[in-house]
Amino acid sequence: MKRILVITIAALVIFVLLDIFLVRGQAHNGFPWSHLAGFFSLFGFLGCLALIAVAKLLGHYWLQRDEDHYDNDDDDE
Amino acid sequence: MTMTMSNFPPAFIFLLGAVLLPVLPRRMRAAAFLVFPLAAFFLLLRLEPGATLTMPFLNYELVLCRVDKLSLAFGYVFVIMGFLGGVYGFHLKDTLQQVSALLYVGSSLGVVFAGDLFTLLVFWEIMAVASLVLIWARRTPGARRAGFRYLIVHAFGGSALMAGILWHIGETGSIMFNHFDGGIASSLILLSFALNAAVPPLNGWLPDSYPEGTVTGSVFLSAFTTKVAVYALARGFAGLELLIWAGAIMAVYGVVFAFLANDGRRLLAYHIISQVGYMVSGVGIGTAMAVNGAIAHAFAHILYKGLLFMGMGTVLYITGRNKLTELGGLVRSAPLVLILFMVGAFSISGVPLFSGFVSKSMVIYAAELEHLGVIVLLLNLASIGTFLSIGLKLPYFTWFSTDRGLKPKRIPLGMYLGMALTAVICIAIGVYPALLYNLLPFAVHYQPYTASHLMETMQLLIFTGLAFWLVIRKLHVEATITLDTDWVYRRPSRLAYRVFSVALCRFLDAVEDLSLRLVQLTVRLGANPPGFLVETIGHAGHLFFRTGKPAPEPSHFSPDRYRIPLGVMVLVVLLCLVALLVWDVLF
Repeated sequence: MKRILVITIAALVIFVLLDIFLVRGQAHNGFPWSHLAGFFSLFGFLGCLALIAVAKLLGHYWLQRDEDHYDNDDDDE
Repeated sequence: MTMTMSNFPPAFIFLLGAVLLPVLPRRMRAAAFLVFPLAAFFLLLRLEPGATLTMPFLNYELVLCRVDKLSLAFGYVFVIMGFLGGVYGFHLKDTLQQVSALLYVGSSLGVVFAGDLFTLLVFWEIMAVASLVLIWARRTPGARRAGFRYLIVHAFGGSALMAGILWHIGETGSIMFNHFDGGIASSLILLSFALNAAVPPLNGWLPDSYPEGTVTGSVFLSAFTTKVAVYALARGFAGLELLIWAGAIMAVYGVVFAFLANDGRRLLAYHIISQVGYMVSGVGIGTAMAVNGAIAHAFAHILYKGLLFMGMGTVLYITGRNKLTELGGLVRSAPLVLILFMVGAFSISGVPLFSGFVSKSMVIYAAELEHLGVIVLLLNLASIGTFLSIGLKLPYFTWFSTDRGLKPKRIPLGMYLGMALTAVICIAIGVYPALLYNLLPFAVHYQPYTASHLMETMQLLIFTGLAFWLVIRKLHVEATITLDTDWVYRRPSRLAYRVFSVALCRFLDAVEDLSLRLVQLTVRLGANPPGFLVETIGHAGHLFFRTGKPAPEPSHFSPDRYRIPLGVMVLVVLLCLVALLVWDVLF
């Protein structure tokens, strides 16, 4: 767990530095995040966790059913 | 115009193939299958943009073949995919699948080269039926049921298309298939295109049916129907703002549902929805860059999605299983399939040097050019989800995770070869994008390999991977199914069935029963009115007093039985006379 966090933070630092020195000035558009170094690192990390959370919540509270959920329907055939 | 090599409809080659194949010797069929895509490929090289082939029909002029760069781009990838699918399915001894696959590829080509709406409609319907057969060819009860649902949905879509086309012809008098200008006719046509593109909420049929197809059949299914719809949208509705949003929402919708899927091929099917979302969005933006991006993405998508379906199809073929809860530990027995699958996974995730990177980024770049910030973020979010599900989760639970001690079957050489060829093309496009860009309809300059773009993509992918790594121990696949919009016709269909079939039948039975009883009563009354009355009253009294005697049988009418004897009548007359006499004497 600790190892993952260390790697994550190290990667973040590297990408922020790369963003600042390599990409700066090349941003081809005027979005609020275009000049934020390391934005896509954060977006990727949080986006991934958010997608998992949203999917799991939707699934557990609403969408996921037993595999034979629809099977009873065919009894009337 | 006369038919030459420059305007010959490529669909006809496949239709001819579908007719010829069953009469060839059985062991030659798999090899013969490959001849038709090859022939069509060489035909495509000879087709000249701008050429048309027309045929008079009633008062109209059908355009059986219209060649331009838009149809050619789709034509090439359809033919290539037809060939690769044929190589992958080389081991097949099932003529039904081979013929329907040829029909399916042919009709898809028919749609993209159709210049008028009648031709489009005919090929559109052939496409629906041919694809249906690829589902039914699996010959399982699940496939049969899913096929019927698929049929109903596409029959509905086809009807909407026909209604829209007839309305459009009524309004404009033209049967040409060009950009539509709005109105009810256009809306109906848009509805049927969106249904085939699986735009939510019209998406339920896709993840319902594609996982039920045969191993090879689903490879074909994944490639054609939705991309034909993308073509049709690009031709008819480019620049429609509704599509920008529909596409972006679709892209995220697909990845959320994919994450919940337990069936490997259903997970991939949800990612078709997601990937087609990029294309729909690109078509909606409608600029030259965006439409180019949509078409480039369709081209790349057909190949890597075909490869992914081949990979999971191979897993299904060798293990008989496709659910993540039942798979795991295949890395020792099928490592090569993993490597080939990962080429597809990297392509769909947009890893640099793979095909998805050079096509997906074009759509996102087009959205950036139009300053559509939310769309850019939604599409990037979908990229995260794509890498999460296909690049990490699916391979992890299939080839690693718990070793289930599966004893896989031997993999036919053709399957390997089909996957390897597809993988080579995916990498070739990623490494040398000009291969793909030269086919695009509009001349725009686009360079995918820029520092900022590489940086964005690497950050997204690496941090998605890290986040996945962080939660991997808490992730476990669940043996469930997910409700989707197919619920609308699956669950209430039960109610509808009860109301319109079971309840209605019972009601009709009751009415029939009642009518028969009435008829019986009337017959008995008519046959013997007094006897009937006597019997009914007697029977009622009999019931009333509970005498214990059985009810009398109804008797037949006999005139003598109720005729009053002559002596009684004489007696009555005499009595009357006596009464009169007495009356006369007394008063």
